[in-house]
Amino acid sequence: MVTRRGFLKGGGLTLLGVGLMGGIPGFLAEAAASDKIVRPYKKRKVMVCIFQRGAMDGLMAVTPFTDTYLQSARPTLFIPASQGGNTSPLIDLDGRFGLHPAMQSFLPFFKDRRLAIVHGIGSPNNTRSHFDAQDYMESGTPFNKGTASGWLNRAVGLLGHDALTPFTAVSITSALPRCFYGDNPSVAISNLQDFAIQMRGNPAAAGKVASSFEDLYDQTSPGLLKDTGKESFEAMKMLQKADTRNYKPDNNAVYPNSPLGNSLKQIAQLVKMDVGLEIAFTESNGWDTHFNQGAANGIFARNVTDLSNSITAFWTDLSAYQDDVTVMTMTEFGRTVRQNGTGGTDHGRASCNFILGNDVNGGLVHGKVETLAVENLEDGRDLAVTTDFRAVFSEVADKHLHLDNDRALFPDWNGSNIGVMNSPS
Amino acid sequence: MNATAKFLRLALPIFGGAILLSSFLGGHRPHRFPYREAGLTERQAAAHLISRFSYGATPGQVDEVVKMGLEKWFRQQLEGSLPDDSLQKMLEPYDALKLNNVQIAETFPRNGQLLRMAVRDGFIDKDSVKTDQKAYREVLKNYMQQKGYKPEQELFRQLYCQKILRAAYSDNQLREVMTDFWFNHFNVSITKNDCAAFIPVYERDVIRRGSLGKFGDLLKATAHSPAMLYYLDNFTSSGPMDAAKPGNAGPRKAQGLNENYARELMELHTLGVDGGYTQQDVTQAARVLTGWTVYPMGENGKAAGEKMNRMGDDKLERQGFVHEGDFLFAANRHDKGEKVVLGRHFGPDGGYEEGMQLLEMLAHHVSTARFISRKLAVRFVSDNPPSSLIDKMSKTFLDKDGDIRDVLTTMVSAPEFWSAAAIREKTKSPFELAIGAVRSLRARIDQPFQLYNWVTRMGEKMYFYQAPTGFPDKGQYWINTGSLLNRMNFGLALATDRIPGVTFDLAVLNNNHEPESAQAALVAYCKLIMPERDLDQTIRRLTPMLNDPALQQKVNAASNKVNEDLAGPERMTTKETMSPPAPAPIAPATTAQVVGIIIGSPEYQRR
Repeated sequence: MVTRRGFLKGGGLTLLGVGLMGGIPGFLAEAAASDKIVRPYKKRKVMVCIFQRGAMDGLMAVTPFTDTYLQSARPTLFIPASQGGNTSPLIDLDGRFGLHPAMQSFLPFFKDRRLAIVHGIGSPNNTRSHFDAQDYMESGTPFNKGTASGWLNRAVGLLGHDALTPFTAVSITSALPRCFYGDNPSVAISNLQDFAIQMRGNPAAAGKVASSFEDLYDQTSPGLLKDTGKESFEAMKMLQKADTRNYKPDNNAVYPNSPLGNSLKQIAQLVKMDVGLEIAFTESNGWDTHFNQGAANGIFARNVTDLSNSITAFWTDLSAYQDDVTVMTMTEFGRTVRQNGTGGTDHGRASCNFILGNDVNGGLVHGKVETLAVENLEDGRDLAVTTDFRAVFSEVADKHLHLDNDRALFPDWNGSNIGVMNSPS
Repeated sequence: MNATAKFLRLALPIFGGAILLSSFLGGHRPHRFPYREAGLTERQAAAHLISRFSYGATPGQVDEVVKMGLEKWFRQQLEGSLPDDSLQKMLEPYDALKLNNVQIAETFPRNGQLLRMAVRDGFIDKDSVKTDQKAYREVLKNYMQQKGYKPEQELFRQLYCQKILRAAYSDNQLREVMTDFWFNHFNVSITKNDCAAFIPVYERDVIRRGSLGKFGDLLKATAHSPAMLYYLDNFTSSGPMDAAKPGNAGPRKAQGLNENYARELMELHTLGVDGGYTQQDVTQAARVLTGWTVYPMGENGKAAGEKMNRMGDDKLERQGFVHEGDFLFAANRHDKGEKVVLGRHFGPDGGYEEGMQLLEMLAHHVSTARFISRKLAVRFVSDNPPSSLIDKMSKTFLDKDGDIRDVLTTMVSAPEFWSAAAIREKTKSPFELAIGAVRSLRARIDQPFQLYNWVTRMGEKMYFYQAPTGFPDKGQYWINTGSLLNRMNFGLALATDRIPGVTFDLAVLNNNHEPESAQAALVAYCKLIMPERDLDQTIRRLTPMLNDPALQQKVNAASNKVNEDLAGPERMTTKETMSPPAPAPIAPATTAQVVGIIIGSPEYQRR
């Protein structure tokens, strides 16, 4: 028997206010009336994951700049930390690691100890195929292709309560991502504005048509279509109230006009609407830099500018919610230590990731990065994976979302965490 | 045996299926379907039959099937060899669909590859790559034109469009439905670059061709296909290397044993996850299949291919290699030791044949019979099919050598197929909804890609499902808050002419009868679009909308004004611009909305 969503259990008492804009949505009223579950109006913890597809060059994002091996392996890609050249230097974080100059906006977070970096993070499976590595990272089972569910979908199941609203787990993508596959409720939305009945060119009719649909779904025989119909119209009304089209970010936050910037802006709206969001996902593309990735300027610099400015805008916009939100980036693997013949880097092993939040053990570059002498490299060419991605993902999910049983999150894994989150005091 | 003979031996069961069919039809004529016992009229039974074995009834099709006889229609669908001339004509412009894998590899180089080739051929200076986006694109375009290369995106566009056109217009509807079913069962994904370009040929020559044959033949054909070999990594899987044997012949350097294909072969393709195998069996089966790989082709395989061509098939064969079309058994990468899978011994030195024996064994395993029967029943009967039905189908599967036609015949001849629990129990997938709506309205598709985009928006990005499980075949997966609103929006967009390149004529659909009243229009179109359904509820619910005079005015005003207000994708089509405001008892705009609501209604989501 399939589990229905929690807000629909309890049956047919949820009589909707007639008319499109009427009253409190049924599932909220119902949830509020239940003594078993947490009231949805209480701010909930939200974990936001950003997948950088294509494999980010972790050694260029966060460079071990004192490493002379790296310098000689990357004659044109290495960015020095010292002033004096024609281009901007790296931002020295701790005397050993330097942040790419285009990520200036991250520096205050790092200094405030809200931003942590894990370096040498990756998968125990040494595949260098984008597809396989993303697949494994999203299913959370690095040696098993057949895992039907994704780790973020399993996380929904471990929240310790039934999903309270249709927006418990939202992916701002055009299709459901691999990490959302599974039986727990989760939804992919490409644009919140599309979440409505649309009569292009004839808005006068849209309201009437919507209520016809609502009526039909309300009257259909009990089951999936009736239940989901009810949810859909309730969700639609919530979003309509929020006027997503004319959204104004707080604190003069300026989102880059990029896919990632727009996605994070929509996630911010969902957070502020208190619609029960707990797990959000989106992605950033273009990290597969085989050709001319550039150094302080160029393709890679543009990518990290977008990444850091989008996240910074999101964080600024959400100032009143920062205690509840943690952002984590991820990428399928890193890139070769040595630059290739076309000014780029090829598929490697470990990369780095960023975690931002008030409960993050920030201001540190976590993990272990050996000097990049050939004998220290994986297969003689790549930054070695010293931290299993599952150690970090499970720690962030467990500490931030308080999952009931984080072992179920990554079934084949029983390693320990690395202290990237603060322990609750 | 030379390679050609081997290829024929592999391919014959598939081609032969059609020839042998006549004898099958003579010998295994299905009895009268037991629908009356379930309390269904013949027309209701015809509607149910069409809803399960096609992408949806076209207007009047229920009558046609009743006239022809339900059993006869089903037999014709099982045969799947109606001529389909008009469809073939429609597909004529899609030139990539006729190519083989080697031609595709030579015509559609991958993006990264293309860049490397352009640099190599001196068209692009390696230091200027991507520095000037526009000039760079021009150079690349120029390079492609000179070399006769086409963007990979064009190949995929043709793939999506042909699936839509075939599903909408093929008279061999069941073959298309089964093609979709088996593709999803033996899923491969366009998201995996290595495998993507092989998908068109995979669907055409492996899946569609084998979709109504014997399960074992289909299984073997998938195991030999580049798409599957790349998707589940078996192309790279090898045993301990034998240094004395001829080089590292084969497309890539060996990297050792890879269990991915062997695991999914058992878990997803044959036995099922509870089919009674162990991790040990998986590892052993993977060893049996070492050396099963892809014959070098295209730019990447140039060096290896030339080397192998120089050796010649005869010499390769003497060394235990097998070259069949795109498939290569690389004997030097095969693990020659003894293996035990499910208690059966393979080898030592079993070579290519032990892999064939393994597939044969799995194809006929009792767990496979149950697993496949259940999956078919889920597709055609109900999300939770009764085990009594699975029992009957499994028995046929085992008795009839995995003959898919026999298994389907057993299914449709069983009372369970016609039971009240099965009627309208299935939820249409987004693809089924979109194609069904096109068929319901006898729409003309000039731009299939527009429908592809809508199917994606409704939650089914065709050919993109990443996991080897394929899309889950259950209503629960397809129906969620986001996708349901998009289904309603799809109905409205289609019916109100907002999907460019998909057109239809509601008046013609209703035999040019102008409905006497709004109410009459509602009833007429409900019956046309949802034949043999209980429509009282839908009609009662939609009636107030028609009788709302204020709405009529608003709708008409909006339709007339819309040209001034809109630009871009929202512009009106010529047809609408030309037609004068209707003085008829029911405004065309309202009729269109009613049709849109019918398509978006809960009743229409069921099949």
